Amino acid sequence: MLWKDRYELGVPEIDAQHKELFRRVESFLKVLRSGVRWEEKIPEINETLEFMKKYVVEHFRDEENYQLSINYPLFEEHKKTHTDMVNYVLEVSKQYEESGYNEDLMQQFGGRLLAWLINHVASADQHIADYARKKGMDGND
Amino acid sequence: MIDILHSAFVEATNNVFQLMLNITDISNHPTEDFKCEDEIDISIGVIGDLQGEVIYRFPVATSINMVNIMSGMEFEQVDAFVTSAVSEIANIISGNVLTALSTSDMKCDILPPAQYKPDENKEYEIKTSCCISTTIGEVCLEIRLNKAS
Repeated sequence: MLWKDRYELGVPEIDAQHKELFRRVESFLKVLRSGVRWEEKIPEINETLEFMKKYVVEHFRDEENYQLSINYPLFEEHKKTHTDMVNYVLEVSKQYEESGYNEDLMQQFGGRLLAWLINHVASADQHIADYARKKGMDGND
Repeated sequence: MIDILHSAFVEATNNVFQLMLNITDISNHPTEDFKCEDEIDISIGVIGDLQGEVIYRFPVATSINMVNIMSGMEFEQVDAFVTSAVSEIANIISGNVLTALSTSDMKCDILPPAQYKPDENKEYEIKTSCCISTTIGEVCLEIRLNKAS
């Protein structure tokens, strides 16, 4: 499984979204890496990609709202990381469509998305949880 | 300066291996011991007060092990996915180093990861390297930088 319990922040609403995001990325990767011919995978890849684009934006917005609610001091920096990732996803999607659904582009996207997501949740997002705990704002309290 | 940069890159690499791959058994040793013929070489360009590049040499076995741990899947060979995933890890390590150094007077930025193309004619004031050994294999870093004039 892509999701690991050690990624939990202790903020139920955000943890639930992270789990859903990991579940969606995992299904995307399974389709991407399956042995089926690329041409046959394209419809499912495109469908999952479209969903992820929407879900990523929604999740980032909710996470940013949570950060604002606890006056997280690194809000602007964190928001920039989200914005950069959303821009990257949109740019790759555009290139992918323009290329006529090139497989290598999607494989590159999958590899970067996997490493980025794990680092973001296992590292950057943990700072939010540490801050919330220090301020006594743990979502499980 | 060399010592500061060397330590910063070693620490950032250790942290990323711990946080992203859950690997805690990590040690450092001289680059001379690093023997590998089949590897993915990723270059991260550095601009600003320091200029040059950091080259990450990921042996194929290490790269595949890293991606297998992250994905929970079984990769058997290097392809666009694996290269992109280890490139992002090089990007993350370098970004973390620059964030750590930004509290000093040094202001630098990094360029997107690229496949390394050797250019042995370039001269560097700051040239150091380190090899990091873990339970899933080694990774070698070569730091080649000049101070901006």
